[in-house]
Amino acid sequence: MHLARTGLALALLLGVAAHAAAQTASDGASSVTGPISGYMDSHYNQPSDGDPILDFHRFVLIFSHTFTERIRFVAELELEHAIVEGLEEKGAVELEQAYLDFLLTRGFNLRAGMLLVPMGIINERHEPPVFQGVERPLVDTFIIPTTWFEAGAGVHGELGRGLRYRAYVMAPLDSAEFSADEGIRPGRQEGSESNVRHAAVAARAEYVGVTGLTLGASAWRGNSSVTLRRLDTPVTIGEVDARYKRDRLELRGEFAQVSIGDAAALNDAVQLSTGVSPNVAEALRGFYGEAAYRVWNAGPARDLVGFVRYENFDTQFRMPAGLLPLKQFDRDAWVFGATYYPDPDVAVKIDYVIQRNQSSIVKAPSSFNVGLGWWF
Amino acid sequence: MFSKMTGMRVRTQLLIALASIVCLTIASDRLASQTRRVVRVTAERFTFTPSEIVVEAGEEVELRLKSDDTSHGFRIAGTTVNVTIPKRGRDDLSIVFRAPAAGRYTFECTHMCGAGHNFMRGMLVVRDRTDR
Repeated sequence: MHLARTGLALALLLGVAAHAAAQTASDGASSVTGPISGYMDSHYNQPSDGDPILDFHRFVLIFSHTFTERIRFVAELELEHAIVEGLEEKGAVELEQAYLDFLLTRGFNLRAGMLLVPMGIINERHEPPVFQGVERPLVDTFIIPTTWFEAGAGVHGELGRGLRYRAYVMAPLDSAEFSADEGIRPGRQEGSESNVRHAAVAARAEYVGVTGLTLGASAWRGNSSVTLRRLDTPVTIGEVDARYKRDRLELRGEFAQVSIGDAAALNDAVQLSTGVSPNVAEALRGFYGEAAYRVWNAGPARDLVGFVRYENFDTQFRMPAGLLPLKQFDRDAWVFGATYYPDPDVAVKIDYVIQRNQSSIVKAPSSFNVGLGWWF
Repeated sequence: MFSKMTGMRVRTQLLIALASIVCLTIASDRLASQTRRVVRVTAERFTFTPSEIVVEAGEEVELRLKSDDTSHGFRIAGTTVNVTIPKRGRDDLSIVFRAPAAGRYTFECTHMCGAGHNFMRGMLVVRDRTDR
């Protein structure tokens, strides 16, 4: 019933948008298909507990088309780990974005299709030259499951004085897939015949009114009992972040917490069907702080940035009654490294990750990494 | 003797005229930049800062555009302004234009610059001079 109402509201909104956009289609812009853009990300990873690997991690192509001044299409198609083979744990082809924008006013625009969940620093801003480190931050992997994309629709705009927002209705997570190690990450439905028996809402507000400063706050909430229909598993995610850049220095910080309602019943239900309890927590938490300094600041080809980042993330932060946390998933990490930019769109990265956990039995691996990423 | 004097006088007059032109040009340039509104805009994935620029109708505006990462487009809808801001570390871009009639004009990035490219928009607010 709720979903039907939501769907009706969205259909009405999009109808109004299409009508409004059509009325202003004579703004002068004719249909234009943009040049193909994209980014690539290739890594060498040497973990302390295994063989080194070379991985062409991401090959991403971005397509765009302008129907009119106010109706625009953007798509982001990604090939992960270079090869896709049936039934094997190899790469993946992912449609990370494919949406239509109906640009109405500065403060109110509509978007529908495959959307990036507006959450955190990295999920919507993940091109290799814009973040430090060969791999994305661990908090943005284990607590906020980037790249997190889902089918949905919603609104976005700027309210003036540097305050902007986006709010979407999207397909929810599937709690039956949650795990102790990766938290909610395996529960992403990724717009592939996503079950929308329940709908989720995602919203983000950003303040960008001062040069160099970005403040953000995001929230996501949805009933995630999709496969396990008898359960009621509301999931709530709250997140705040900040970025500040001045002269040669850039600072970043992010805090995120996930709350999984009735996790005890979820663990029981999964154990009943698979024979093993997934040991899913009722709360996951992570935060990080990063400082980066431009050692050379003379523009191409003398741009070198050194950085250090501390991350703390626990996918077993608070357990439901009767379950003990697995201490190897209470982790933290120091990441040290540098990025050399022979061009602002080309990043040669090197870093060392010292990862630790609270377990006295299972050791967390450290790793030495080298990466090459570029945007075009 | 007479023609030598005349030649010298002509040369002197020419030099004075040339110096006057140079002085006038410098003065008018200074005057123009003093009366011209200068606005510095920084582009970075996926924001323009400031994202709102307020000017008066008919006034001369100089936009000094700078990118902090990749190259971005800068187009003001409804005007002839449509330029490319060079990548970080290259020269900043300066454009001069006369503010159009009072109204609100959207400006936006026209070069695909990443996942949030369509968010990269702002507003040029042109006020009527009598609105002061």
